[in-house]
Amino acid sequence: MTLREFLAERMRMYLFWGSFTAAAAVFLSATGTQTGVIVILLIVLTLAALTIQAMDFLKCRARLVELEHILNGLDKKYLFSECVTPAKTLYEKKLFEMFRRSGRSMIGAVSDAQSSQREYREYVESWVHEMKTPITAARLICRNVDGESRTKLSRELGQMEAHVERALFYARAESPERDIMIRPFSLEEIVSQAIQNHKELLIQGGVQIETEGLEGTVYTDKKWICFILGQLLQNSVRYRGNSPAITLSARHIGKQISLTVADNGIGIPAHELPRIFDRGFTGSNGRARGGSTGMGLYLCRKLAGFLEIQIQAESREGQGTAVTLAFPSKENLTKM
Amino acid sequence: MQKIMIIEDDAVIRDELSLLLENEGYQAVTVQDFTDVPGQAREKQPDLILLDLGLPNKDGSLICGEIRRQSSVPIIFVTSRDSAIDEYRALSLGGDDYITKPYNIPVLLARVRAVLRRSTGTPEPDVMEGSGMKLNLAKGTVSAGGRTEELTRNELKILSYLLENKGKIVPRADLIDALWDSQIYIDDNTLSVNMTRLRTKLASLGLPGCIKTRRGMGYQL
Repeated sequence: MTLREFLAERMRMYLFWGSFTAAAAVFLSATGTQTGVIVILLIVLTLAALTIQAMDFLKCRARLVELEHILNGLDKKYLFSECVTPAKTLYEKKLFEMFRRSGRSMIGAVSDAQSSQREYREYVESWVHEMKTPITAARLICRNVDGESRTKLSRELGQMEAHVERALFYARAESPERDIMIRPFSLEEIVSQAIQNHKELLIQGGVQIETEGLEGTVYTDKKWICFILGQLLQNSVRYRGNSPAITLSARHIGKQISLTVADNGIGIPAHELPRIFDRGFTGSNGRARGGSTGMGLYLCRKLAGFLEIQIQAESREGQGTAVTLAFPSKENLTKM
Repeated sequence: MQKIMIIEDDAVIRDELSLLLENEGYQAVTVQDFTDVPGQAREKQPDLILLDLGLPNKDGSLICGEIRRQSSVPIIFVTSRDSAIDEYRALSLGGDDYITKPYNIPVLLARVRAVLRRSTGTPEPDVMEGSGMKLNLAKGTVSAGGRTEELTRNELKILSYLLENKGKIVPRADLIDALWDSQIYIDDNTLSVNMTRLRTKLASLGLPGCIKTRRGMGYQL
């Protein structure tokens, strides 16, 4: 609160006081009081009013600073009315009481929303796990089918698995601390696991895989990073060009290791590139091919954030796309 | 014949899995009644147990603990729950390996083989023999008739896979699949190139035409 705001708010009162005092001065002068006495009286009155206003201003400002300090110190701001210091004036007391009532109803609404969200997440997780049993059974049965139908069927099953996996990680991203375990892994191990998981898709897509300089250790969660790499591989296969190739290469910059997944696919138009990590963004390529959900890269960036991995994409239309994951160095890794 | 016990509540998976294992040359035993699983395990004396962690009314990890108390049979967990905590808890209870559903069938079989090999103490063979040749996996060489040729990593893998499946027709897709499992990311064209080179080397050892091409089906040694 600035002095100007304070004065502006009270301007009407000052004008009223001023005109009232002026009227009193005119009245005194008319009833024969000496001008000198009136002047002294006016000076005293003005001084008294100024002092009272100055004290009011300082008190009010100090109180606001105190309340603001309490608010800033709160992690959950909506708990303000519960944590505020006792009211100093009657007006504050009545006001706080009202805030408290409104705050309680808000806290109730928030915790209801939180618990229903948690229940929903738990349902999605258990649904995903239930889905895995019939998919496994279908995979086993699929072995008995011959020829082209088997290839087609197992491709569809692969799609199903990919969708189910995304749903699982979407639910998990709500409480990553329950699932992430940061440990040292060799980059080679992680890359070969991710390729292994998508072997079927890559072979059927006729993709040539190159790996380059995958030495070194990264500190991360294997399952999560494999999921992220899996999304990138799936995209590379989906948006492949003629004679598709994917190169997975690592670079060491100081203590940091970064891994690049580069393809020679159809690429992303420059004006769409800044939005590819947005939730639900499908882009012209995604719309042209259909079946794009706009969730894959969004999840990648979200999960990468939890692993403290920086994710960046470069692309040129008609030439290919490269996504780089910069792993945190051991020293920079904050405790999860 | 090694006996594998399948503890799995989903009937379809149970039947298909035992069929798969029997095709691979194992004897499969299934558990149908889940009231006294440790007792059945004791009675059947399997060489390996595949244990589903999500059994009805009973937590699979508890069953594992009970089996562990009376025997040291290797146990592989099969589960659809794959959170870090589940994995950690399962392995700390004495499981030998952990596979999540939906599993990749070759991976499952490879894990089964690896765990069985570890438990019986037979090391991975260094030398494979058959079709008049001797393949040294450690040195990466193939010899026949007193002569020896060096093989590249890809050629070695191709030949060893064909030797493992001697007499059977190996489809190209299966061969590519197996190579990818060994981090050799080869495509159809590269496979043809490697195959030609391998055949030339075998021919120089006096074994021309030992790898037959079965048109439209695959290769056969």
